[in-house]
Amino acid sequence: MDIRRRNNVTVTGCVDGPVLLLAHGFGCDQNMWRLVLPALAESYRVVLFDYVGSGKADPSAWDERRYGSLEGYAQDVLEVCEELDLRDVTFVGHSVSAMVGVLAAAKTPERISRLVMVAPSPRYIDDEGYRGGFSAEDIDELLESLESNYLGWSAAMAPVIMGNDDRPELGQELTAAFCATDPDMARIFARTTFLSDSREDLKTVAVPTLILECRQDVIAPREVGAYIRDAIPASRLVTLEATGHCPQLSAPQATAAAIVDFVGAA
Amino acid sequence: MMCRTDQAPDPEEEKDVDATDAMFTSLLEDSAEELYEQAPCGYLSTLMDGTIAKINATLLEWLGLERSRVVGRMRFTDLLTVGGKLYHETHFAPLLQMKGEVSGIALDIKTTGKQRMPVLVTSKVKTSEDGAPLLIRTTVFDARDRRAYEAELLRGRRAAEEARRQAEADRVRLQEALAVLQQSLLPAELPAVPGMEAASYYHTASPDLLGGDFYDLFPLDAHRWAFFLGDVCGKGPQAAAVTSLARYTLRAAALHDPDPVNALTTLNTVLHDRYTSGEGRYCTAIFGVVEPHDGHVEVHLASGGHPSALIQRADGSSDYLHTPGGMLIGVLPKATFTAARARLLPGDTLLLYTDGLTEARTGPDRTLYGDEALRTFTTTQPAQGPQALITALTGLLASFGDGLHDDTALLALGPTPLATPGVTT
Amino acid sequence: MSPLTITTRLAATGPVLKIIGDLDYETAPELRKALDSLSMAPGQMLVLDLAGLDFCDSSGISALISARNLAIEQCGDIALAAVPANTLRILGIVGLDQVFTILPDPATATNRDLMTG
Repeated sequence: MDIRRRNNVTVTGCVDGPVLLLAHGFGCDQNMWRLVLPALAESYRVVLFDYVGSGKADPSAWDERRYGSLEGYAQDVLEVCEELDLRDVTFVGHSVSAMVGVLAAAKTPERISRLVMVAPSPRYIDDEGYRGGFSAEDIDELLESLESNYLGWSAAMAPVIMGNDDRPELGQELTAAFCATDPDMARIFARTTFLSDSREDLKTVAVPTLILECRQDVIAPREVGAYIRDAIPASRLVTLEATGHCPQLSAPQATAAAIVDFVGAA
Repeated sequence: MMCRTDQAPDPEEEKDVDATDAMFTSLLEDSAEELYEQAPCGYLSTLMDGTIAKINATLLEWLGLERSRVVGRMRFTDLLTVGGKLYHETHFAPLLQMKGEVSGIALDIKTTGKQRMPVLVTSKVKTSEDGAPLLIRTTVFDARDRRAYEAELLRGRRAAEEARRQAEADRVRLQEALAVLQQSLLPAELPAVPGMEAASYYHTASPDLLGGDFYDLFPLDAHRWAFFLGDVCGKGPQAAAVTSLARYTLRAAALHDPDPVNALTTLNTVLHDRYTSGEGRYCTAIFGVVEPHDGHVEVHLASGGHPSALIQRADGSSDYLHTPGGMLIGVLPKATFTAARARLLPGDTLLLYTDGLTEARTGPDRTLYGDEALRTFTTTQPAQGPQALITALTGLLASFGDGLHDDTALLALGPTPLATPGVTT
Repeated sequence: MSPLTITTRLAATGPVLKIIGDLDYETAPELRKALDSLSMAPGQMLVLDLAGLDFCDSSGISALISARNLAIEQCGDIALAAVPANTLRILGIVGLDQVFTILPDPATATNRDLMTG
């Protein structure tokens, strides 16, 4: 199988630079990294990809069982690393991808030597003595939202996607694929993401880890950032002056600077 | 009719226009501010971090909130249900960041009394002259009716998908059932007959449609074996029912009286009586008895409307064992069947087949393969016994491709062939 | 594959069905349907004009036998007219050439009966 095509792998930046592997979270695709890309490409070899089931990854590679667990997504990461023979990689995972990175790093410590977690959460649903921020019913509501937006999707999104004449850099290649995943695949990814519990896996992290949280994040509350910092000995927690769940979009300079600072210093 | 294009407007008409404008103005809102506040949709403006800076009265009324509790104190996502928040963070906000505009997104807002109100949200980023984002303007449309309709559509889609899945599962189950049934119409494997070799092949034209071809080989007593091969008119489950009836009738009849003409006559009576009312069901068949002796096999067979059996001789020739005038079985209460006898010597093979073989279409002009071509083909094959002949014919059938449009059964019998020179056994 | 068309006309000797196209598993029910709507007076002859019959398989043969049964039930007779060579060959194999009256053309059927009748 052609992994590069399957996962829509893109390689950019400095050919000889240290490797950054940027992994998107639930919802969109590798375009999530567009605004931090210019800053990172200056000093790093940047590898981007879409998980199977997202963006422009090959939909025929979809396997309901494999992608029904985070292990399946971690397998995508490992296969991309092997295909490109990446070594000494800094894995930058957004949201649920941070936990995918934890799983991948545990499997191939020889390839993944640093983790950057952007707005991570090891568990979204509240538990005894743990606040993730959501109840199980909340997750059902999200699934409903996905469904109701799928119906009107093509009609609602087409003008937005096509009508970017004033910002040609966001032009044609930002196709409907961005954030408009097949609803069946999105449902499974959503379920896998929001019903996951990776708290135990945090204990396996043996590599230097940077945790980037936002000052205000409705998906990952501040408690979660502190929880992860306490669970991983070799970790550093940085709180970005940003709101929302996507600091790489809402505060790209600060996000890129924090990554450069961490990798450069490592 | 006068053309007034080039003339000054009629002063009377101008006066009318002024009056109409005045009337509309009195009906309309007296200010843009009132239009903003009382518009039939919600308006709000937020800072780039989502903090609400301005909100109209319509939206506040939907939310059941006081302006003072909202402006500067709440963010847009605070107005949403939890599912809506997640959706906003994972889809809406990234899209808005990337494109500066997002339209027609379905979200739910929390209204008074913990109710949910489906809305359609459109947001646009306002930028400064140098392109820096300043604030987000958002319109919120009441989508209660639309969402109800969409929910209906979704239910319909789910039901259709479920029906499709069910149909697919049914189809698979049906095919499995058909395959099992088809197998029950044929012997699982031919019995070993001392002093003889026997071989068979069955080609299924369509996995969805049970074929009506059948054959069998079974012992009558210590010295004699009965065989038959036939073809029921038509296809599908009705034909399969006749196939089953024909197979077991012939087996039972043979044990009672193995004379070939008598066995076929019994089958004729059974089919004619069974299907006397309504749509008739008929078949053609050759029934025979073989008796292996030292060094040769005696064959006694009869045909009811079936293509003649072919004998491949050890000397390289091939000839039909003609049974003219034997009638289609089950049509008439009294039918005539034609018997024939033959002696098979080592290297001779008796071949029975259904007309799927001879009625196959071959070549670019799709001409009928025919019995002469079959005879010629057989003469070109080395006389190495039943199994070798069936193998050769299987290859021939495969070469017909889609020209072979009907089920085809083959049964070959003969004395155990002598060891081929040069081959030790 | 050519579709089946059946046209029925009533001659003095009885109904004449002109069968054009393929008579097979798919189309045989159409002949049965055409037969169902026929009524024959005792002594009449049902003529099936097969000049335009392109193809006839075992399902087609069954339908021809149904036609014969129907004619006999109504105390009439049946004849096949202008039978194409291939179908005639098949009728020979299955022994039905002994059961059906086979005529060179439909006129032979309708005229003969007019003259003798």
